Amino acid sequence: MSIDLLVQALLNGFGLAMVYVLVALGLTLIFSILEIINFAHGEFYMLGGYVTYYAFAVFGLNYFATLGFAILAVGLAGVVAERLIFRYLRGKTLNAFIVSLGLLWVMQASAQLSFGVLDKPVPSAFSGIVRAFGLVISVERLVVSLSAIVLIAALYLFLRWSRPGRAMRAVAQDADAAALQGVDIELVSALGFGIGCALAGGAGGLLAPVFAVSPAMGALPVVKAFIIIIIGGMGSLPGAVVGGLLLGSVEGLGSLFMGSAAVSVLGFLVVILALLVRPRGLFGGA
Amino acid sequence: MRIRASIAAVVIALAAVVGTVVMGGAQDKTLSIGVLGPLSGGAASYGVELVRGAEMKADEINKAGGLKVGADTYRIKLVSYDHKALAADAATAANKLVFQDKVKYIIGNAVGATCNAVQTVTEPEKVLFSFVCWGTNNLGPDKPHSFRVMLSQWEVAEPFYRWVKEKHPQIKRVAAISPNDTSGKDTNTAVVKALKALGFEVAADEYYERGTKDFYPILTKILAAKPDMLDVAAAPAGEGGLILKQARELGFKGAKGWTAGTNPFTIIGVAGKDAAEGVWSPANINVRSDFVSATVRRFGAEYEKRYNEVPGVIAVANYAAFDVITKAMQEARSLDTDKVLAALTQKPFETVWGRLVIGGKETYGIDRQFLYPVVISEVRDGKVVDIAQVLPTALKK
Amino acid sequence: MEPSRGLSAPPGRALSAPIAGLALLAAGVVALPQLTRDSYYLDVATTILMNLALTMSLRLQVSTGQLNMAHISFMGIGAYASALLVTRVGISFWAALPIAAVVAALLAFPIGGLALRVTGPYYFLITFAFSEVVRLFFNNFFVDLFGGPSGLVGIPKPSALPWFGRALTFTTKLELYTLMAALLLVTAAVLVRLEHSRFGLVASAIRQGDLLAETLGVNVFRYKLTAYVVGSLVAGVAGAFFAHSHQVLHSSDFGLEPMVLLVVFTVIGGTGSVWGPVAGTVLMTIAGELLRELHHYESLVFGAVLILTMLWAPDGLVALPGKLARRRRAGVSLAP
Repeated sequence: MSIDLLVQALLNGFGLAMVYVLVALGLTLIFSILEIINFAHGEFYMLGGYVTYYAFAVFGLNYFATLGFAILAVGLAGVVAERLIFRYLRGKTLNAFIVSLGLLWVMQASAQLSFGVLDKPVPSAFSGIVRAFGLVISVERLVVSLSAIVLIAALYLFLRWSRPGRAMRAVAQDADAAALQGVDIELVSALGFGIGCALAGGAGGLLAPVFAVSPAMGALPVVKAFIIIIIGGMGSLPGAVVGGLLLGSVEGLGSLFMGSAAVSVLGFLVVILALLVRPRGLFGGA
Repeated sequence: MRIRASIAAVVIALAAVVGTVVMGGAQDKTLSIGVLGPLSGGAASYGVELVRGAEMKADEINKAGGLKVGADTYRIKLVSYDHKALAADAATAANKLVFQDKVKYIIGNAVGATCNAVQTVTEPEKVLFSFVCWGTNNLGPDKPHSFRVMLSQWEVAEPFYRWVKEKHPQIKRVAAISPNDTSGKDTNTAVVKALKALGFEVAADEYYERGTKDFYPILTKILAAKPDMLDVAAAPAGEGGLILKQARELGFKGAKGWTAGTNPFTIIGVAGKDAAEGVWSPANINVRSDFVSATVRRFGAEYEKRYNEVPGVIAVANYAAFDVITKAMQEARSLDTDKVLAALTQKPFETVWGRLVIGGKETYGIDRQFLYPVVISEVRDGKVVDIAQVLPTALKK
Repeated sequence: MEPSRGLSAPPGRALSAPIAGLALLAAGVVALPQLTRDSYYLDVATTILMNLALTMSLRLQVSTGQLNMAHISFMGIGAYASALLVTRVGISFWAALPIAAVVAALLAFPIGGLALRVTGPYYFLITFAFSEVVRLFFNNFFVDLFGGPSGLVGIPKPSALPWFGRALTFTTKLELYTLMAALLLVTAAVLVRLEHSRFGLVASAIRQGDLLAETLGVNVFRYKLTAYVVGSLVAGVAGAFFAHSHQVLHSSDFGLEPMVLLVVFTVIGGTGSVWGPVAGTVLMTIAGELLRELHHYESLVFGAVLILTMLWAPDGLVALPGKLARRRRAGVSLAP
C-alpha cells in the first residue's frame, strides 16, 4: 500500500467533510438554543438541493447567486417551521423527536409528490480536475469544500461578534439568565432554528451538483451529522470541525482496507467509544 | 287510471332492475389485481415504475371495453400498497391484498427480502405473484405460483460478457461494484461467475451501502487494482451515474458496463456526457430509440405525457407482465390461477420485448422466468444506441 | 381503559385499578376473534399484540428515564436466536423461545451496562449507535448463518403442543393470534405488577431526577439496568414469536424504521402510565392500516397526524381525558 494511496484516501475523506460539518453545525445550533433534536434536519438539506436544482439547472441562475437564494429560502422555511410547530416544544426533547419525525415524513412525501421519484441531475458549475503531488481532486469538490469553509467561518464570526449571535450564545448557555438580561427568547429561538436550517439548505445546495437531488437524499447526511456532533461535542463549533475531519479520515482510510459495511460499523463503534470515554465530545462544554 | 300507471311504473322498474342484473352480470364484473412495491423512501423509483407500468396496461384494457375472459368481461381494478422496502410491512400488505381485497394476482414487487415475505402469504393461498426481485431463492419448485418477469443477472451476465470477450478482446480485468443488498449481492455473484467461466480476471468485487453518494474512497481502492473495465452492476441509475462520474474524475479511462441497468437517461444526466460515454448495458431500454418496436415507443411517449418522467426498464417489464398474464387468462378462459399458470408456461408470447418464453428450469428447477432477447446498448454522445442482440442460453432453443 | 394512577396508589393497596385494566385488556383480546375470523384482521391484531409487548416493555425503560433506541435489536437477537435454534440445532420452538429470550437478556447486561454510563440525549445516541451495529451485523456478517441481505428464509411455524391427549397446532392465523395473546397477557400482568410495586415508585422517583433518588439511598444504576434487562427479555420473546409467525427474517425488520414506530406508539399513547402504550399502539396501528389505502399520501398524512397529536396532547393520549376534565372543571368554577 503506497503512501500516495493512503494520502489520496485521506484526501477523499476530507474532501466533502466540511459540507457535512455545515449540516452538523445546523443541527447542533438548533439543539443548543431550543434543546431539541430535529430529525427532519435532513429534509431542509434536501429542500436546499431542490431549490438549487430549479434555480440553477432549470432557470439558469448563476451558481453562487443560487446558493445564496437557497440559503435564504430554506432559512425562511425553518423560521416558519419554528413559529408554527417547534416554538411549542422548546425543551421537550421526547415530544420534539416525535414531531420532527412527523415533519420528516410530511416533507419527504411532499417532495416526492411535487418533484417526482427519479434522481434529478444538476450540472456541475465547475469542471476540470486538479492534479498535484500525485493526488487528484476535482475542481468542483475543491470549490464546494472552500465554500463550506467560508460559510463556517461566517457562522463563527456571526456568533462571536454580532449582537444576535451573542444573544444566541447566551441563550445556549443559560436561557433563563439570558431572558433576565432582556434577551428576546422568541426571537432568538426563531432566528436560531432558521439559521440552523439555512446551514442545512446551503449544504444541500453545495452538494446538489456533486450528487444529484432526490427526495430521500437527506437521510445519510443527517446520520453523518449526528456522528460528527457526538464526536466533537454538542454545541461546539470547533468540535464539529474536528469531528468532521475525524469521520472523514475514518471513512476514507477505512474504505481502503475493509468493505463498506465494516466501515459503517467502525464509524458507529467510534461513536460508542467517544460517548463512553468523553460523553461531552472532544470540545463539548454544555 | 292511476292503478294502471302505478303497475306500469312497477313493471318498468322491475324490468330495469332485471335488465341491469342480466346485462351487468356479463359486463360489470371487477377483477382486482394487486401491485406491491416501495412507494416511498430511497427505493421508491422501483415501486412507482411498477405501479405505473401496470396502470398503463390496465387502463388500456379498460378503455378497450374490459378484459374478456371466456363469457365474462371484467373491468380491471388495481390495488397497490407501499411496503417501504421493509419485509414485515410487505407481509402485512400482502395479507391485506389477499384476504381483504381478495386478489388472486399480484403483478409487481421489488426489493429482494420483501419478495420472500410476500411469498409466505401468496404460495399457500395459490395467489399468482410476479415480481422483478433478483434473489435466486425467489423462484423454485416449492414456489410454483411465483414468477420473475424481468431478466435477472443470472440470464444476462453470461451472454453479456461473452459478447464483451468477442468484440473487445483487449479487456482482461473487470471490476464489479454493487449496493450491499440482495440484488447487489446476487448480481455481483452472477457477474463474477460469468467472468471466471469466460476466463476474465476479477479485479474487484466490491459493495457499497445503499444511499452512498461519495464513492471516492471505494473507487480509490478499486482503481488501484487497475481494471480494464468497470461494471456498476446492480447500482441504481442515480448511484451508478455518480460512480461513473467520480471514476472519471479519479482518472479512469477504461471500458464501462452496467449489467443490471434500468434507466439510461438518468445515468447519462447524473454522470455527465463524458463519463457516460461508452457505457454498455444489456438490461437497458431506451423507449425513444429507433431500435425498439413502435409499441414501445408509443408506450414511452404516453408514459412521459402522463407521468412527466421517462420510463425505465421496470415500468416496461411490468407493462409486459400485465400484458402476458391477462393474455394467459384469456387463453385459459378462466381466472383460476392454476389454469392460468398452465396457459402461461405452454407457449411463447408476443410482447413489447419481442418473442417471450417462460423458462429457466436449468437455473431454478422450474420454468418461471420470463426470457426474451437481450439487447446490448452503448451510450454514444449522450444518446443510448442499441448495438447488438444476444440470446440468454435458455432461450437458444 | 382506565389509566392507572401509578404513584397515587401506594403499592399493595388499591390494586383494583390495574386489575380492572388487565381484565379489560384480556376481555378485548378474547373478544376479538369472536367478532371476526377474517385473516387480514387477525393478522393486524396479532401484530398489534406483538407491538404491545414491545411498547409496554419499552415504556418500562422510559419510566426509569431512558429512551432505549436499541430495544428493537433485542427483538432481533431473540428472533435470529430462536430461528437458528430451530432450523440449525433442531430443537422445538417451545424450547427455543425461552432460550432465545435468555440470550437477549444476557446480551442486555453488557450493552445496557455500557449505555447507562451516560444519560439523556447521549444515552439516546449511544443506544442508537448500538442498534445500528447490531443491524449491520445481521445484514452483513456470518451470511451463512443469518442470511445476509437476502434474509433468513424457511423458518417453520411453532410445532404442535401436546395437550391432554390432543395436539394444539399453531398454523392458522387464529392459532398464532391465540399464542401471541397468551404471551402478551402474561407480559402485561408482569409489567403492571412491577409498576404497582416498589419498583414503580422508585422508577418514578428516578425519572424525576437521578440525584434526588440517589440521595434517598437508591442504587439508580441497578434499577435502570434491571428495567433494561427485563425489557430486553420481553423484546426477545416478541422476536422469537415474530420469527416463527413470519417465517422470514431480514435485518430491516430490526432497524431504525420499526424502532421509530415503537417510540411513536409509546410516546403518543403517553409514557406516564403503563397503559399509555396500549392506547398509542392500538390507535396508531389501526390509523396506519387505514392510511394504507392512500398509497402515495400515506406517509404525508401519518406525519401530519403525528405532529398534530403531539401538539394537542403533549402528555400522550391517555392523559387527554384527565386534561379535558380538569379544563371543564376549571371552566365550570369560573362560570357566574
